[in-house]
Amino acid sequence: MSFLRVDGLEKKYDDSFVFSHIHFSLEKGEFVTLLGPSGCGKSTLLRCIAGLTQVDDGQLFIDGVNVTDTPARQRGIAMVFQSYALFPNMTVRENIAFGLKMQKVPPSEQSKRVNEAVELVELGGKEQRYPSELSGGQCQRVALARSLVVRPRILLLDEPLSALDARIRKNLREQLRSIQKELGLTTLFVTHDQEEALTLSDRILLMNNGKIIQNGTAEEIYTEPADAFVVRFIGNYNLLSAEQAHQVLGIQSQKQVAIRPESIYVREEGRQYPEHVRHPVRGEVVDYLLLGNVIRYRIKVSNVELLVDLLNRSSERLFPAGANLELLFNTHEIREVDEENSAIG
Amino acid sequence: MQRPNSLGHLSVIIIFMMVMILPLLGTLLYSISTSWSSGLLPDGITLKWYTSLFADHRFLQAMMNSVLVCLGALLLTLVLVVPTAFIVFYYFPFLKPFMNFIILLPFAVPPVVSSVGLLQIYSNDVVTLTGTPWILLGAYFTVALPFSYRAIANNMANLNLQDMLDAAHLLGASTFRAFFTIVLPNLKTGLMVSLFLSFSLLIGEFVFANILVGTRFETVQVYLFNMKTRSGHFSSAVVVSYFLIIVLMTILAGQWGKKQ
Repeated sequence: MSFLRVDGLEKKYDDSFVFSHIHFSLEKGEFVTLLGPSGCGKSTLLRCIAGLTQVDDGQLFIDGVNVTDTPARQRGIAMVFQSYALFPNMTVRENIAFGLKMQKVPPSEQSKRVNEAVELVELGGKEQRYPSELSGGQCQRVALARSLVVRPRILLLDEPLSALDARIRKNLREQLRSIQKELGLTTLFVTHDQEEALTLSDRILLMNNGKIIQNGTAEEIYTEPADAFVVRFIGNYNLLSAEQAHQVLGIQSQKQVAIRPESIYVREEGRQYPEHVRHPVRGEVVDYLLLGNVIRYRIKVSNVELLVDLLNRSSERLFPAGANLELLFNTHEIREVDEENSAIG
Repeated sequence: MQRPNSLGHLSVIIIFMMVMILPLLGTLLYSISTSWSSGLLPDGITLKWYTSLFADHRFLQAMMNSVLVCLGALLLTLVLVVPTAFIVFYYFPFLKPFMNFIILLPFAVPPVVSSVGLLQIYSNDVVTLTGTPWILLGAYFTVALPFSYRAIANNMANLNLQDMLDAAHLLGASTFRAFFTIVLPNLKTGLMVSLFLSFSLLIGEFVFANILVGTRFETVQVYLFNMKTRSGHFSSAVVVSYFLIIVLMTILAGQWGKKQ
C-alpha cells in the first residue's frame, strides 16, 4: 500500500483551476520530485498536501488514513521553505527545538534530539547564533534540521535550494539526498530545475498547467518524453516538425519528432557504426559552445538547425564554423511526440 | 564618493545644531536667571523657579496626569493596532490599501474641529465624557493611530509572515501561540518606534487636552498655558523640566528595550 496517496485533488481560485485531477502516490522512503515551470501549480499542490491550503475536491491519504480535513499541525508533515522561514527572534538551537516544544517533548529528550539534528546538518558550534548571523546555506540547513527533528512522516521541500548560489546548492543537494537516504524519509521535493530533479529523485512527476504530464524515473522522463512540453522542458532536445523530420531524416510522421543532441553522431573515417545508427546527412557548423566536457554544435542541415553534443576529447576534434560534416542518427533514440495536450491522472 | 568639503559641510552641521540647540539653551538660561531684561546676559543665577515649580503640587499632578493619559492611550493603541495589523497582513492582505486610507483620516480633520465635534457628542445627558480623562484616551488614540499603525505595519511587511506562520503551524503551534512566540517578539523594533513617536507626540498635545478636559484633568501643557501670566522664568522652568523628563523617560524606555 502506498504511504502517501493523492486521489483526484483539485484546487481553484475564483473560476480558474490551479490544478485538477491530480493522482499519484509515494512509497515509504521514496524521494519524489514535483517538477514543472513556475506557475504550474506545484507549490500550491505541496501546500495542499501539507494542509496549509484547502483543496476544493479530492482526497489525501497518509498511511491509509484519510487526512484531507486534518489540520496541518496534526498531519505529521514537515516542510522546508524556499525562504527558510526561520524565526528571527530565536537562536539556531531554539529554532530547531521549537517543534519539540510544541510537541511537549521532555527537556532532556529535546536537548538530545536537537544535538543529533545539529550534528546531522553539520552546524556544530553555531547553535547560539541567530538566523541573521548565518549564510543562506546555513539557514537552509537549520530549516532542514528543524523539520527533521520532529521526525515527520513525510518531508516536503518547496524549492529549498533556489535561493542559494550554485556551489552551495550543489553541496546542499548532495547532503539533502544523503540525509534522506540515511533516515529513509518519504520526501516530496518541488523544483523548477530539471537538473536538480534528474540528479536527486527516485521518481519525477512532471507538471504543466495544473496537470501531471508524466510520472516516471529520471531515466524514463529523459529518454521517453511524454509530449512536446516534456521535450522542451527537459534537456536540449532537437524538436522537428513532421515536415522537418522528413527533410532531415527521411521519416514519414504525422507527429513532431524529438532527438537528443547526444544521439547524433559526426561520422569518423574508419569507424564502424551499429546498424541502428544511420540516416547520413551532410551539415554545416554554424557555431559551437564549450560546456566543459561537452561541446555543443549548432549544425545546419537543409535549413534546419540541429544541436549536436560531442565529448570534448581534445582540440583536434573541434570543428570550426563553416566546417562540412556528415551526421548519423541513433534511430533507437528518435521519438515521435504529441503536442502539449496529454495528461495522465 | 566625492571628498567632503570639510569647512562647507561642517558649517551646515553647525548651523543645524545651533537652530536645534540655541532655543533650548536660551530657555534653560532664562529658567535659571533671577531677571534678564536690560543686558546681554542675565542679572544673576538662581534655582528659585525650579524650587517653586517642584514645590507646586499642581505641576506634579499635571505631569503625572500627562504621563498616565499618554501611557493609557498607547496601551489602547497597541492592544488594538497590533492584532489588527496582524489580521490584515496575515488573513486579509487585500485590506491593506483600505487600512492605509483609514489611518490617514485623523490628519484630515484638524484637532480643533474634531474637539468641537467630540464636545457636542459627549456632553449630553446620556454620555458625559468631557472633562474626564476617558475622552482624552479616545482622542489620543486617534492621534497616535497613524504613527503606531505605520511603524508596526512597516515592521510586519519586512517579516516573512506567511511562511513563518506556516512553518509554526506545521511544527505544531496554534496561530495564537505563533502570534505571541514568533510574531510579537519580531515586532519589537516597530513597537518601540511606535511607542517613542506616539509618546512624544501625545505628551506635548494641547488642543484636545485644553478643549475637552481643561483644568478638570490638567495635563502639563494645559498647566503651562494656565501659568503663562505668572512669570516667563517660571514658564521656562516648566518647559525645561518637561523636556528633561521626556528625555529621561526616552532613555529609560530605550534601555528597557535593549534589555528585552
